[in-house]
Amino acid sequence: MAKLTQTHELKGTLVCVEGIDGSGKSTQLNLLRDWLKSCGQDVLYTEWNSSPLISQTTKLAKKKNLLSPRTFSLLHAVDFADRLKQVIAPALKAGFIVLADRYAYTAFARDVARGVDPSWVRNVYDFAIKPDLSIYFDIDPKVAMERICFNRAPKFYEAGMDLKLSNDPYESYVIFQSRVIKEYKKMVKEYGLVKLDATDSIHSKQVKIREMLKTVLKAKGIEV
Amino acid sequence: MQKFTRKHDYDGLLIVIEGTDGSGKSTQLELLKRFIEDKSYGVMVSEWKTSRLIADVIDEAKDRNLLNATTYSLLYAADFADRLENQIIPALKSGFIVLLDRYYYTALARDVVRGQDIEWVQNLYDFAPQPDLTFYLDMPVDVLLKRIIGTTGLDYYESGRDVGFSTDFYNSFEMYQNKCLEQYNWMKKEYGFKSIDGTKPIKEIHKIMNIEVQKILDSGILD
Repeated sequence: MAKLTQTHELKGTLVCVEGIDGSGKSTQLNLLRDWLKSCGQDVLYTEWNSSPLISQTTKLAKKKNLLSPRTFSLLHAVDFADRLKQVIAPALKAGFIVLADRYAYTAFARDVARGVDPSWVRNVYDFAIKPDLSIYFDIDPKVAMERICFNRAPKFYEAGMDLKLSNDPYESYVIFQSRVIKEYKKMVKEYGLVKLDATDSIHSKQVKIREMLKTVLKAKGIEV
Repeated sequence: MQKFTRKHDYDGLLIVIEGTDGSGKSTQLELLKRFIEDKSYGVMVSEWKTSRLIADVIDEAKDRNLLNATTYSLLYAADFADRLENQIIPALKSGFIVLLDRYYYTALARDVVRGQDIEWVQNLYDFAPQPDLTFYLDMPVDVLLKRIIGTTGLDYYESGRDVGFSTDFYNSFEMYQNKCLEQYNWMKKEYGFKSIDGTKPIKEIHKIMNIEVQKILDSGILD
């Protein structure tokens, strides 16, 4: 039971980045990928909600605002399960370094912020493999909003407008993302997510991440 | 923790017909619907895998053989959640008698046969209310086989070919349906199904169902 709390015994290494949009996680993961590739490592990159099986349906449903938080939660779980079983697990077995832009923790943060029961959603994702390194980029929701909304209004779902917290998308965004962040912070302890300050420089965060990854890889006998 | 025992306090009634493929559920559902309508009660019917958005995804994924046991479970759960929240619960709240062709018991049987942990499946569906009445049409595998071969023919998933029991359709169907029946036999007792011999004539089965439903109506719960 509860694979997410058990260290996996596969040859490869699983790294995930977490945090709200605008926290800089994709930038960091891209830098990490390029570096690992230039070191000659086998790297596989996978993103949240990108499985060919379901991601288009989920996007369509979002656009039309058709589904309840629980149904969304299950559709994201389908997407995740598809990628985990078809892509992530085989790559880990083959010894790849798998870089995941968002992982099950995203569901635990967002779905619970939408009112889904925390233990229910954790059970749904019970089949997930525990990452070797999980990094959480902590940011103030107002700062994140300035970063992503400098030329547009917050989008319907990222602002949590489905929850009817406020009619103003900017205000709704801050309330909703604060809830998401609250859930992430709980997981720092619960799952050992490593918290980084998202407002640090790109360089200093990348240095820290590479150091942490080197330690993880060294324990598996890999020098980079 | 005891699962599948979440009582509802909506005004309506939740009645389920369960059974393996080809056990005659749809026929009985139709008859029961007419019987209840004739008594001037509001009836709504909802069938398994009919959510407007997700059912198509399931069909397409099955056609292209894209599903593994986990995505299979989760997609069906998503379809169920969508129907539950958008159709079934609103109808129950308005005092309808909701007749369902299959319920989470179907998922439990099929998912467990596909190797999923039973507690995981129970938890997956734990948000759904327990039915007020569940009929189970009990059919031996040999009768089922004849019925299905004589009507729709053997389907890849109904034969459990995806599970890999056998590459022979007949053998695979027999093994898969037998394993599903084992689950149903266990659930029958665990969840107190009204089990009916599915080999009985259609009219006779219908009569048994009417009597059970009439008992509930006589209790005045919907008046």
